[in-house]
Amino acid sequence: MVTEEKKKVINRLKSMYPLRAKVNDTYLKSIEAIKAGKPTAWAMLNFYYGDPILKAMDIEVVYPENYGAVAAAMGVAQQYLEQAYADGFPTHLCGYSLASLGYTSRMMREFKGEVPPEAPFGGMPKPLFLLSSSAICDARYKWFQALGRYMDVPVWPLESPSPGAKELFIEGAFETMVDTGVKHLGDFVVFVEGILGKKMDWNKLDETVDLMIEVNRVWYEVNELRKAKPCPMHSRDFWSAMPAALFLMGDIEDSLQLYQNMYQEVKDRVSNHIGAIPEEKYRLLFAELPPWHSLGFFDKLAERGWNFAVESFGYRPPIPLDLGGISDPLERITRFNLQFFAGYAEEARRQNLPSGSFAYPYIKYAREWKCDGAMLHPLISCRSASTHLPFVANMLVETLKVPSLTIEGDIVDLRLFNPEDALAKAEPFEETMEYYRKVRKQEGFDW
Amino acid sequence: MSDESKGLSKAQEIYLNRSQRAKELKAAGKKVIGYPCVYVPLEMLTALDLIPYRTYGDIREPVTETDRALPTSFCSIMRTCLDCALKGKDDFLDGMVTVHACDPQEKTARVWESYTNYPYFHFIDMLSTIRPESIEYFKSQLNDFRKTLEAFTGQKLSADKLKPAIKAHNQQRALVQQLYELTKPAPPLISGTELVQVVKALMSLPVAEGNDLLNQVISEVKSRTDGPKRKPARLLIWSSTLDDTDIMQVFEAKANVVMDETCGGIRAYRGSVKLTPDPLDGLADYYMKEITCARTFRQATLGETKKDYKKDIQSRFGYLKGIVRDWKINGAILLLVRYCDPFAFEMPSLRDYLDSIGTPSTYIEYDYTIGALAPLKTRVEAFIETIS
Repeated sequence: MVTEEKKKVINRLKSMYPLRAKVNDTYLKSIEAIKAGKPTAWAMLNFYYGDPILKAMDIEVVYPENYGAVAAAMGVAQQYLEQAYADGFPTHLCGYSLASLGYTSRMMREFKGEVPPEAPFGGMPKPLFLLSSSAICDARYKWFQALGRYMDVPVWPLESPSPGAKELFIEGAFETMVDTGVKHLGDFVVFVEGILGKKMDWNKLDETVDLMIEVNRVWYEVNELRKAKPCPMHSRDFWSAMPAALFLMGDIEDSLQLYQNMYQEVKDRVSNHIGAIPEEKYRLLFAELPPWHSLGFFDKLAERGWNFAVESFGYRPPIPLDLGGISDPLERITRFNLQFFAGYAEEARRQNLPSGSFAYPYIKYAREWKCDGAMLHPLISCRSASTHLPFVANMLVETLKVPSLTIEGDIVDLRLFNPEDALAKAEPFEETMEYYRKVRKQEGFDW
Repeated sequence: MSDESKGLSKAQEIYLNRSQRAKELKAAGKKVIGYPCVYVPLEMLTALDLIPYRTYGDIREPVTETDRALPTSFCSIMRTCLDCALKGKDDFLDGMVTVHACDPQEKTARVWESYTNYPYFHFIDMLSTIRPESIEYFKSQLNDFRKTLEAFTGQKLSADKLKPAIKAHNQQRALVQQLYELTKPAPPLISGTELVQVVKALMSLPVAEGNDLLNQVISEVKSRTDGPKRKPARLLIWSSTLDDTDIMQVFEAKANVVMDETCGGIRAYRGSVKLTPDPLDGLADYYMKEITCARTFRQATLGETKKDYKKDIQSRFGYLKGIVRDWKINGAILLLVRYCDPFAFEMPSLRDYLDSIGTPSTYIEYDYTIGALAPLKTRVEAFIETIS
């Protein structure tokens, strides 16, 4: 019974559950549809860039990045990793990539294209094509190229500009990115049409894009409400709810309703001063993907009064912008995608922080969400999601006097996260947060 | 720099004291611009009388300062490059140009710019494919680079200035290609170790001085009688970077390295930039297409809706077939610097390709430190024994 009570320390949002269920239901329905012969693609998380086109073309999408996490959580990833090592892939590659390379090797070579029997949630059936992405890291396009060893399946490498934070402001640079993106998406549509042998339904794409933008606007507003004290929504609810917006899972109109319900529930909590944990002593920012396999860890921290109010830039919706005056859906998609990557750039420039989205969002979040500390979770085999963390820690303490606690882990290899060790660091870090509270007060900060 | 030294001995002198000439030029009023990667179009610097200076790491220098900026499980070359910068070893530079050739460089560039204080810093973005819109985008990035260079120098970078610079760098490419022809005989007339010294010297000098050096080296090597001895194997080294003679000597202890397909070797010097009416077109095309770094996503046919693995690996690695044949290579070492994802993902497919053309290969990983060389030596010797 004691354990049962501990599990309820975090006051989860009721509106989160249907969003979480939708993620699982969508995945299972997709697998069924694929088995029934519906066209399918394996895709990288593409930050609203390729997904609306796939959605409008009625293609089922499987995300091997997600599946790597699922395989890890279900305890089958290790054999896929070992298969990838045996095939000659270096061990220090991204854990998600190794899991899917090993999985595909096994599916294509041992099971002649059939899903291996141990694969959880029906596995990932062989796709019609692969949609890689050059955004964020090299692995996310090189990995799909490497899958060519196992499957004669074409790849569309979705391009993603990443200009420097100040170079973005050179006259004409941003509009060139838009032009490049629109042209590239146009070619991608032709590619998909060629694969499927059918034409794009532009009206459907138009509606899909509008819904995508609106879903993310509401989801953004939900997170804005979390600036309230006490914070009404814990990061665990964020992680449970985010896939429907980030991956456009399932019916988007339904998602919109579910996020609106969440907005209402969070707003009610704010009005009634209801926090996500019983007694909020410390407000924290969490950076990078959480230890999916050890989320109970956050309950233990909640018992100590740690409330997680805000998370990584990489998984949050873009700052809303009005794209209503743009008729071309490909341009709306491109601008929305660029808003994700460059939406913080102007503010960063005004504050003379050349790092741009590399560090600035975390400074903004810590200041606006009034965080006492940051928990940074570098992932051993996901370097791109971790590279910025030492820099972020320095910037937070230098500019805002907000300290960071670094706890190493991994996205697939569960052995690399030690919750006991992490919890042992909680008490001394509370002393650090208390110390910096005094420093902030002395220096005129308002929290 | 000794005035008397010429050719190979001069290259060795420069290799051992790389920054000396750049500092002399700076003292004489020139501006020196650093760059960490061969994707930076040096022609644009040369055209404005700026001195391009390749910044390297140092396998002998323990990485200490970088830990405050980058994680330990990160490209060890970028870590040591940044470490040298943070320790002030590049403080004589007037500027730095970085490029999005790979994710570690893009991430490091942001830190680099934040933690250093060069008068000029520019980042060039690149897409990953060689699709028309990718090349057009790269051209627009070069145009933006032109604008910031003009603002920095107060000079216009006109086509009239750029064309002679392109010709000078094309001449350098042609001379380096001639130099590598001299590794075709058995034994080769020049060693891999000497090639590392020459290429590193070139990347420390203005292009005209580099071309003079190359002419001297080629002339000397053609007539020398004290060249490398014949060894039991003729090797191709395929890697991201191989820029230190101590690393090269691990391979050359028991083999002749006749081709180093790395960006410390011939990679930056293949082909030539076409002289197009707008010179940025020729530059964009060359840098996106001709440099054979694993960072580029190549396909047998752009936008292909069907895939054929044999054609795919031919499009990615086919250029090696002629090299293996013409240089009579009998073994390839695929040398991976740990945490280099673009090269790491290539390993199994490259081995498939080399198998298909009957070339034995081995994959070896190390972490770009002097301490990593002893275990590297053991593995290299084992491979050479199997192919000799």
